[in-house]
Amino acid sequence: MKRLAVALVAVVAVGVALTGCSSGTPASSGKPSILIWADTPRIPQATEYQKEMKGKVDVKIETIAQADAQTKISLANRAKKGWPDIIFGTAADTAVYRDPSNGYAADLTKLVDKKIFDGFGEGNSDCKFDGKYFCLKNDLANTVLWYNTKIFSQLGLTVPTTMQEFADTAMKLKGTGYSAGAYGDQLYYAAFLQSSECPLADLTAANTVRIAPSDPKCTRVAKLIQPLLDAGVIDKRSPFDAGFIKDVAAQGKVAMTIGPSWWGDFVIKPAASWNVPAGETAAANMPTWGTGKDNKSGAYGGGVFTVSSHSKFPQAAADAAVWMTTSDWMATAATTPTFPAYGPANKLWEARISKDAYYTNNVFTAMAAGANNISQVDRPARFPFVAQFGPTMVADINNGKSLSTALDDYAKSIQGLAPQSGYKVETK
Amino acid sequence: MARSRSSRRSLAAGSIMFAPYLILLVLFGILPIIQATITSIGPSIVNPAGGLQNFADVVADVRFLPALMNVVVFLLMYVPAMIIVVSLMSLLLDTVQGRWNLPLRLTYIVPASMTGATAVLIWYFMLEPSLSPYRDALHALGITQGNQIWRQGGLAWIFVAMAFFVGAGNWIVVQYGSLQSISEDVLEAARIDGANAWQIGWRIKLPLIRKYLVYMGILVFAAGLQVFVEPQLISGSVYTGIAKDWSLNQLSYDLAFQSNNLAGSAALSLMLLVVCIVAAIVVIFRTDFFEGTGVGKK
Repeated sequence: MKRLAVALVAVVAVGVALTGCSSGTPASSGKPSILIWADTPRIPQATEYQKEMKGKVDVKIETIAQADAQTKISLANRAKKGWPDIIFGTAADTAVYRDPSNGYAADLTKLVDKKIFDGFGEGNSDCKFDGKYFCLKNDLANTVLWYNTKIFSQLGLTVPTTMQEFADTAMKLKGTGYSAGAYGDQLYYAAFLQSSECPLADLTAANTVRIAPSDPKCTRVAKLIQPLLDAGVIDKRSPFDAGFIKDVAAQGKVAMTIGPSWWGDFVIKPAASWNVPAGETAAANMPTWGTGKDNKSGAYGGGVFTVSSHSKFPQAAADAAVWMTTSDWMATAATTPTFPAYGPANKLWEARISKDAYYTNNVFTAMAAGANNISQVDRPARFPFVAQFGPTMVADINNGKSLSTALDDYAKSIQGLAPQSGYKVETK
Repeated sequence: MARSRSSRRSLAAGSIMFAPYLILLVLFGILPIIQATITSIGPSIVNPAGGLQNFADVVADVRFLPALMNVVVFLLMYVPAMIIVVSLMSLLLDTVQGRWNLPLRLTYIVPASMTGATAVLIWYFMLEPSLSPYRDALHALGITQGNQIWRQGGLAWIFVAMAFFVGAGNWIVVQYGSLQSISEDVLEAARIDGANAWQIGWRIKLPLIRKYLVYMGILVFAAGLQVFVEPQLISGSVYTGIAKDWSLNQLSYDLAFQSNNLAGSAALSLMLLVVCIVAAIVVIFRTDFFEGTGVGKK
């Protein structure tokens, strides 16, 4: 018995010693090594960076699902290891990461050249927290008006320039079998609520948020759009709903839709998606709600790259983030469906998409017009702003409830959740 | 010698067989429970002081009560369905002795291989009117759009169906096995006394396997209380957000990883654990689970 006990202790001791030895990798002995966590659409540019840095920096890439990003960083924080050097996500993720309780996001103001920030201009405003930059914006997904030129000429419609004209044009589609788009998901917020500057995450102070669904800028949305929903000219399903795609979009029945800058390449064109034939799609400026400055666009997406504050090679990591968001390669690659936020890269992307024979006009013009005009009222916040659309607003719209009910349910839910993330809530 | 050699040998044999389970229980059961208890009374973002206030904060969370209602509705449908259907099917299986018995048992286990993401995808395709092979049946019921089925307020029965089809088959086979342990003499005596098949099943077989049905009931209840996979996967990919924080376990997950409130998450997990343990203890002692021999000797 005693011999067995001694043998057991010896085995355990050796085991512990072995694990102890293997976990200590020699640090800066040779090339720096960085780990990139990105979602599938970003993998091509990450792979290209890996190729370009071969011999200089050892770049490792891992694909992650967007929804898992905060969870994985949270776990890494808990285990105090396993952080990626840069991660692709949303500005809302970064809002969580830069909070002192999380501490993952590195302050990039020192690590990135001022020239780069100048090149971004206002495009990187989502990444500014308390005057410092904690991420780099990969793309701007501002909303524009996508329309089908064939259907418009067939029905003799003119392209709307204001929201009222959009509603009137949509009503003209009643009875024709054509649709003005489906907005039963986050697109309802991006296309209408955000562009109207309805205050749902208005940070009036560092830790105070104004969530006011009774504001006139919120109520005017339901007033304008509800009749369209009731008339059936806009669909209460999500634009990604299998039924909507099969019965409406893929049948070529969408006359116009408000959608982000990536809608054309990513939703309208692909055969597996709406499969609209070439030579029918064009983009026009985002319809305005009012006059003068009341002409904002919304944004549906727009990712950022955040750099780890725990990185062993902070400069290499920051350089990687800069390359991912500003490189010429990324801007000209056919695999980049999104509108680069970085000025010079954006110019190169323009060169590609303005010549794209799929579209009937230069879609870049409309995108550029709205890119620096994205509503800044709702800021990236630490509570699940986007995630709460699903169970409240979207569920209500999909179930046929009124738009004002949908908004109220959503506002109530985030009014309840914001304090949990340390915010004071103003409801008026 | 206080113990005889043979009893020492059987004690050693028993310990060796029990050791792996004990090690795993300690590593993945007891230690996490201790860790969770320590975490649950630690500080959290909303409650820097820590302590039992964390439990109160979780219960006061706006998402707690709806999640609790969802789980209660789920359990009210899931547990009876499982127990009744499994008992019935295993009795039927026991009655149908012959060459169809083995193929049937194999068929029942097939759905159990479709768990998690696979089950979610399969159910999504079956219930999406534009993609389903049963779209004619769905249209006949007046269902033409996906969101007539996949809608808030109507999700519980879908999750029950998913969980049921995955779990029922396994349990049918298990209970069939427990029915085999009933002595033929008892059944022969019942038949001689003039009992028909229904009476034999209801009054003789079921009471004799009561222990195993209780065991199944406890596990089914515990699994149902902690339902997570089905709502999380549907909500994560197919209909994003439709079932966010639908169940208590999902709320615990979101508290941990979205709100960075590990104390609250641990508190909720412990509450679920306590409910399961209390339910198990009550059922075990009320049904004399460990007493006597519920099964006749062969």
